Amino acid sequence: MKRRKFIQTLAVTPAAALPIVSESNAETPVVAQRPQEEAPKLETASLDAAGETMPRFFSAAQLAALKKLSNIILPPLNSMPGALDAGAPEFLDFLIGKSTAERRQIYTAGLNTLNAQATKRFGKAFADVTDAQAAELLAPLKQPWTYEPPADPFARFLREAKQDIRNATINSREYVTAGSSGGRRGGGVGQYWYPID
Amino acid sequence: MAEKEYDVLIVGSGASGGMAAYSLTQKGLKCLLLEAGALVDFQRQRGLKPVYELPYRGFGKPGRLPHVVQANEFNANQWVDEQQVPYTHDPKSPYNWVRVRMVGGKSLFWARMSYRLSDYEFKAKDHDGFGDNWPISYAELAPFYDRVDPIFRVSGRKEGLPQLPDSQFIEDKSPDGAALERIGTAGKSRGMTVTKIRRSLGDGQFASSFNLLLPAAQATGNLTIVPNAVVREITTDKATGKANGVSFVDRQSGRELHAKAKVVVLGASCLESTRILLNSKIANSSGVLGHYLHDQFYISNGVMGVMPEAKDGKAPRGLVAGAGYIPRFRNLKDPKTKAKNFLRGYACDLYPGATPDAKLFPAWGAELQKQLDTFRGAGIGTTIMGEVLPRFENFVKLDPTVKDAWGISVLNFQCRYTDNEFNMAKDAVDTISQVFKDAGFEVLNANDKMHPPGYSIHELGTCRMGDNPKNSVLNKWNQSHDVKNLFVMDGSSFVTSGTQNPTLTILALAMRASEYLAEQAGKGAL
Repeated sequence: MKRRKFIQTLAVTPAAALPIVSESNAETPVVAQRPQEEAPKLETASLDAAGETMPRFFSAAQLAALKKLSNIILPPLNSMPGALDAGAPEFLDFLIGKSTAERRQIYTAGLNTLNAQATKRFGKAFADVTDAQAAELLAPLKQPWTYEPPADPFARFLREAKQDIRNATINSREYVTAGSSGGRRGGGVGQYWYPID
Repeated sequence: MAEKEYDVLIVGSGASGGMAAYSLTQKGLKCLLLEAGALVDFQRQRGLKPVYELPYRGFGKPGRLPHVVQANEFNANQWVDEQQVPYTHDPKSPYNWVRVRMVGGKSLFWARMSYRLSDYEFKAKDHDGFGDNWPISYAELAPFYDRVDPIFRVSGRKEGLPQLPDSQFIEDKSPDGAALERIGTAGKSRGMTVTKIRRSLGDGQFASSFNLLLPAAQATGNLTIVPNAVVREITTDKATGKANGVSFVDRQSGRELHAKAKVVVLGASCLESTRILLNSKIANSSGVLGHYLHDQFYISNGVMGVMPEAKDGKAPRGLVAGAGYIPRFRNLKDPKTKAKNFLRGYACDLYPGATPDAKLFPAWGAELQKQLDTFRGAGIGTTIMGEVLPRFENFVKLDPTVKDAWGISVLNFQCRYTDNEFNMAKDAVDTISQVFKDAGFEVLNANDKMHPPGYSIHELGTCRMGDNPKNSVLNKWNQSHDVKNLFVMDGSSFVTSGTQNPTLTILALAMRASEYLAEQAGKGAL
């Protein structure tokens, strides 16, 4: 399902729809007097229900590579939305853009390497390679996990991107609403601490 | 307005400060407790939220809490802000200082693991020749452990192990589960035992000074709690050299104040108490204040085991029950427990029924999902906890160039692990991996790289106790050798860490020291 359609299906419907008032019987609505200490409670929707993230950090070529990579790492599976449905690449554009210089460098260099290797080996950008070709380029992800990040910057990028794409997807509104269960790690509900005065 | 002089001024409201307040007020002493953080209304301060409503989708604001691995976007506001109260270290030798400032302190959030130390820790030098003994033995502290246990309601099962003395347990009668029994059987030839987790049940949602100690102390009518009071330094009488109060800052406005007392008790946590003493320029005739910083190294999932028969959701009935614990089994009296290349030992938490993290599978897409489905609930998670040797070379000092939001000098850390810890970590991962295999389990991943120092939130030793004033800050009653009416009752008084979580020992030490303080005060000896 396309992300825009997903958002439309999820858009919050106001609990009480506004009454349709014809011109002939239009009157000033009468609002019941509320006790003075009671404030009105308005329903609101989340930011993601109103719009889509506008990428601002990655170049067009980098973002295209990230979108391709995201769809490979976590495609739609078992009726659950995939990374593209969840807007994971656009969210990571925002998150990485706000991150440390080191983390920004890991991502930009990694995406550039993906495109450079795809061009060198297959004559096209990473966004246009086949799944089999992509699998060859993602070979470093076949290495066993170690606590220390890989020394090779490209391997390190792939490892971080795999984890980030999964988390950005699983924690998305689309994924949670589509039925992700339970705990915080699964993208569910958690106990939030408000700022302490 | 004239300053009121209290009998005792306590700094900090966590496990040690709370226990000091609990014990001293029951002895009739009028106590003032200053806490740097707020009194939190938990109903108002917390609320359920879906992760997608958080501004950073659960990742947290980049760069906000770089040293707090435990932080996430849900709980980020419960930790001390690293920009507001910074600290410094060599970038190549990081230290993860994890702090909480609110009434109740870290006791609001601890994992509640409640283990006693033994004479393998109190008399460690007698056992292996390294470092120093504590000036007390297990027998001297045992009566206080016995009185702390029922307050915190420690659950567990009597095991009769010399390296892990039993508590006054609320008996845990739950079955172990076949997975833990198999690990115990496989490890027996190495001297390994698998026990129940020992845990403080507390009361309701907390096992904290906040609900178990401070309300009882306040009910005596002898306790005044003042939140938002950031202590700058202890003040002293120039004629006698004795402490006569503290100067402190209103956290919210920055207003400077002073409070008077006949006795000062520090229970602000190991490193905050040390920082206050360093800023006060007292209690350091030995030159060891701030030194011997140690903790326990932690390796999260150093070994991730897999129960083959539990794959694809087919765990047989009785295979998985609760969590388990492997107490230290290296370098005990039995010669077969001797390690070749390290002193002391390690413990390990066991979590059968865990689901391995996606990062452990070298796959992506549908293949990764298939692996996750196969291994869901089939894992055995571990947390390895190793004793770190207390060394003079590991220390904190004041950083003269950096101050916190209230203009108070911050700490600089000089701390690193050595070959004893690295060799121990390797032995732990190799041994537990082999025991898992001997028990018929698979090993999905093994990693012997520990988190940076500080991660365990068990920092200890920087005001250590001892009989010799030349190499210790405190005597065996947690009393300053130099300033007789000054006591330090938190983890900074430890001489060795053991592998056990320290909170139960901090509570017992604080109770013991407080009763000594009350007795001495009654005699006019302070």
